[in-house]
Amino acid sequence: MQWLNTRQWTLARREAASGYLFVSPWIIGFALLTLGPMIASLYFSFTKYNIVDPPKWIGIENYSRLFSDPLFWQSLKVTLHFAVLALPSGLVLGFVLAILLNQKIPGVNLWRTLYFLPSVLSGVAVTLLWIIIFNPQIGAINQLLEKIGIKGPGWLNDPDWAIPSFAIMALWGVGSSMIIYLAGLQGVPVDLYDAAKVDGANSWQRFRAVTIPMMTPVLFYNLVLGLIATFSYFTQVYVATSGATGGAGGPARSTLFYNLYLYQAAFKYFEMGYASAMAWVLFVIILILTGLVFRSSSLWVYYEGELRGKSES
Amino acid sequence: MFAGGNAPQLVGPNGVSTIAEFFDSWADITPFIEAENFDTSDFYGPAVELNQYPEINTGLPLGLYPSFILYNIDMFDAAGLDYPPSDFSDTSWNMDKIREIGMKLTLDANGNDATSPDFDPENIGQWGYGDQWSEMRALLAREGAPDVGRPTSADYKTATANSPENIMALQWYSDGIWKDHFIPNAEQGDAMDATGGSPIESGLQAIFQTHTWYLTESIVGLPFEVQLAAPPFNHKGERIAVIDADNFTMPKDAAHQQEAWEVMKWLTAPEQIVDVCLIYGCVPARKSVQDSFRTAFQERFPDLNLDVIFESIEYLDIPNNEAWVPNWGRVNEIMENAGGIIKTGTNIDAKSVLDETNAELQTVLDEYWASQ
Repeated sequence: MQWLNTRQWTLARREAASGYLFVSPWIIGFALLTLGPMIASLYFSFTKYNIVDPPKWIGIENYSRLFSDPLFWQSLKVTLHFAVLALPSGLVLGFVLAILLNQKIPGVNLWRTLYFLPSVLSGVAVTLLWIIIFNPQIGAINQLLEKIGIKGPGWLNDPDWAIPSFAIMALWGVGSSMIIYLAGLQGVPVDLYDAAKVDGANSWQRFRAVTIPMMTPVLFYNLVLGLIATFSYFTQVYVATSGATGGAGGPARSTLFYNLYLYQAAFKYFEMGYASAMAWVLFVIILILTGLVFRSSSLWVYYEGELRGKSES
Repeated sequence: MFAGGNAPQLVGPNGVSTIAEFFDSWADITPFIEAENFDTSDFYGPAVELNQYPEINTGLPLGLYPSFILYNIDMFDAAGLDYPPSDFSDTSWNMDKIREIGMKLTLDANGNDATSPDFDPENIGQWGYGDQWSEMRALLAREGAPDVGRPTSADYKTATANSPENIMALQWYSDGIWKDHFIPNAEQGDAMDATGGSPIESGLQAIFQTHTWYLTESIVGLPFEVQLAAPPFNHKGERIAVIDADNFTMPKDAAHQQEAWEVMKWLTAPEQIVDVCLIYGCVPARKSVQDSFRTAFQERFPDLNLDVIFESIEYLDIPNNEAWVPNWGRVNEIMENAGGIIKTGTNIDAKSVLDETNAELQTVLDEYWASQ
């Protein structure tokens, strides 16, 4: 039967070759547009490189300089502050909206569209809109607050309120996570709710004992993506802080996000090597945080059909 | 484009700041000048000096953008105030006078001016003065510190941002915002830009200290009259009218430098330079075309007193407020951060702000020289 094994082996090789052929566009794109630049930036992180002149090897000088740079620590602090505000509020609001939009009410499709639409509109144009909304003099928010007798803060012009302003701005995009939550909610088996009702559970108990556990995989997914997004935050800050508040990252560097400082190092100060080192440090930070979230998932993420610590009887 | 190796062969018009920011990128045009014995005598001295450094001549100058006072005539008429002078010998026109009339021109929502005991600083409807589009180095340069527009010593090794003159300039500005209320703060300035596009266009500010490029951008079709006046004397009794300047450059890696040089000469030739300068609003760098430029510029702005522009050039800031310093990008960010701290009211004490700024600048300078 040796000839049969040879034919199978040739068939297997042919099948594998076909597989690689189909996936090759992605592999080539990944190699050229992701892996290649990553390797290049790793190399640049050990050099002094101002784009115009060839890179000059300086060893770990960029990395050691990072840790003594007060602006590096400021940018980390600002980014973490934003993450602490934006991430939980985004997760909770998305989930709450999904629950509300999971009800059988007339026009629910219209409401789902309206809540999802803002997440499709993003970037520079929307940020310019938010700049006007947040303007303490003419913006809608302070004008509304004034009508109820509250003097609104300086928002983007106030170092204490600038990060909360961006956290609020980030909620504009909650529609995309809301859609994923909605899909998850609609995937919860109805018989679990029926069984809970039979056991006498009220709506809050069904929410706590059925909905939340069954939604933990979706929460986990949105948490991981949200964590990466908050540490990648850039466009809105760059656009919103270029005015009179002291340049990008103002006022008083209260909005000097990590990626903004990285951008400044690369393209304003022409310290491409230093910026590359910052990029790799950011990669490690996100990797560690994401790893911690993954490790913790065994404690709080429940997958349907999974039995924890009990054998099937 | 520089990193990709496909930078254009000719770049411009570039301001002094662009030259400084990309200082290591430019070709030295001295060999081209010497090779054909190119006559630069027609170029106005300051226009050449502003973009020339000991090691390199970065390009042929296009023109100068002098600064001056631009004021809203209607607001002065409504306040019953004399117009700012265009007479450069009038020594009564100084920063104290700016403050005095600025306060009279600043009105709250009820029409009270900033000198009135009933003035409500929380509801200002019109401001007397501002130069919110000026960068910090320009704002401070006017008080005439020894290094003028450069926040370092001549050897670039010592930070001098906290000189007494700079502190005075910044404190005057801070008091103008937070004590006397005739200058808009950051949020008020942003609101003004959002509603009107610029301070004068918004119709909310009486006096604006700006440059000639503003004329080509922002005063066409205004519903009120404006006029030019002399920049004021500073507290030392001197006048410094900060200036912008443009030139054309070629990247040092340009493959066709000879061709770029030919185009550079053409753009700055007497036959073309007036037309190019009219587009950008700069006074041509060539002496021989001053009259024809003046005629054409006056036709465009028939009601403006253009003598102010030409006379302002005599008071330009040397070292220039945009000129190269080591780690130019970082130095500028540190200076703008200081301005933002004052304009947002985070700290309104100019001395403490500039002391901290100076310490930061010194660190940046020390790092630069340690790496050389």
